[in-house]
Amino acid sequence: MGSLIGSDLLEGAGNQMRVVHALALRETRTRFGQHRLGYLWALLEPTLWILTLYGAFTLAGRESMSGMELIPFLATGMVVYDLFSKSVEKVSAAIVSNKALLFYPHVKTLDIVFARGSLEFATYAIVFVILLGGHGLLVQQMQIHDLLLVITGFGLAALLGMGVGLLFCTLSVISNVADRIRGPLLRPLFWVSGIFFAADALPSEARDLLLWNPVLHCVEMVRSGWFESYAANYGSPVYVSYWILGLFFAGLSLERHVRPKVQLT
Amino acid sequence: MIELQSVIKSYRTPAGENVVLDRISAVFPSAVSVGILGRNGAGKSTLLRILGGAERPDGGKVIRHGRVSWPIGFSGGFNGSLSGEENCRFVARIYGADLDMVVEETREFAEVGDYFHMPVRTYSSGMRARLAFGLSMAIDFDTYLVDEVTAVGDASFRRKCEIAFDARKERSALILVSHQIQTLRTHCERFAILKHGRLHFIDDIGEAERQYEALAA
Repeated sequence: MGSLIGSDLLEGAGNQMRVVHALALRETRTRFGQHRLGYLWALLEPTLWILTLYGAFTLAGRESMSGMELIPFLATGMVVYDLFSKSVEKVSAAIVSNKALLFYPHVKTLDIVFARGSLEFATYAIVFVILLGGHGLLVQQMQIHDLLLVITGFGLAALLGMGVGLLFCTLSVISNVADRIRGPLLRPLFWVSGIFFAADALPSEARDLLLWNPVLHCVEMVRSGWFESYAANYGSPVYVSYWILGLFFAGLSLERHVRPKVQLT
Repeated sequence: MIELQSVIKSYRTPAGENVVLDRISAVFPSAVSVGILGRNGAGKSTLLRILGGAERPDGGKVIRHGRVSWPIGFSGGFNGSLSGEENCRFVARIYGADLDMVVEETREFAEVGDYFHMPVRTYSSGMRARLAFGLSMAIDFDTYLVDEVTAVGDASFRRKCEIAFDARKERSALILVSHQIQTLRTHCERFAILKHGRLHFIDDIGEAERQYEALAA
């Protein structure tokens, strides 16, 4: 009996994987396929941001931040933040923009959330490697302090974005107010997630306050893992995981509640 | 096989609650073709969507055995920005079917020509329906749900559909809805009339015809 349940579970997991895989491929086409430059934009957007900020920092006379070289410092912050915010954006539209999928009832909301989230993760992982690898080649120097920590911070940023997106995509079924407030609600994170600063350089009261923000934890994890020279370690994987668990719990409970409300138009 | 147990579905309208399906209990057995008749707005498409799982009933239970198709007709199920082929690949993937085989069979069946590689949003409604039809035939379903098939394509395409249906009748069930009795006559062994939210089963086509005409009059 036990093995029977086991094989059922295994088969179920296999089916789920198949669906998520199919969705991820489909999402790749719809996210990037509209024009030839689709993939390139994912790279160009953060690059332009980084160059602009680099210009501003250089004008202000900064050459490094808490022992981190300016370009990789900005890149680690920008790409991790982009990964989070794009995951939120894409996952938030998971239900609304995929109503056609209601025709295939074995495709569940969570499958779409994971498919979109994985796509963002893969996209920004590649952007990260290109930007930081490219910079490493240019300056003929690259040393990764703790790769596992980099990957942890990156993965948690993606999951965090998926969690927030899941919550918003279910809320948007109840009311379109959710979509309207998402932008204004999340925009401050651009300023407080460590794109422009290192937690270590902050006065301790400000740091304690800003470290409530889980995105800053992810950025700090990636930076502590990337730079040998940045000794501080403020990123807590456990703290971010609590956020992720809470968000998924709330999002999935709500999803159960709103499921009957999602209708083909 | 699909079983409905006192399924209720209603929609809120400005005029108040509109009960479309009123405690419907029914069994659609395997390998039996059932034709459901109903006037426009009787709730035929809603019933199909509930049978297929695209919509949930407000109350009651739907029990499905085997693989049930999505409601095949003019609308939905495709992503407009993807090409016909890409849509086929996606659907084949989620049902775990052989990709190349499904793509090839659908392409042959759907007769959309070069449009097969164009975004589905550029299709006419007829092309869209032919694609949906070809695709569903390429994937083995135990129950096919078909919405108003008569209007799809010209005479030769309809002939092709009939042949495809006949080939599947042995092992698959067919649930066809239409407001025209002629369509159902060729394909179905049992009949049902949907009116005032209730489903009345009638085994004899003559009787079904008489009752439906009385309803339409």
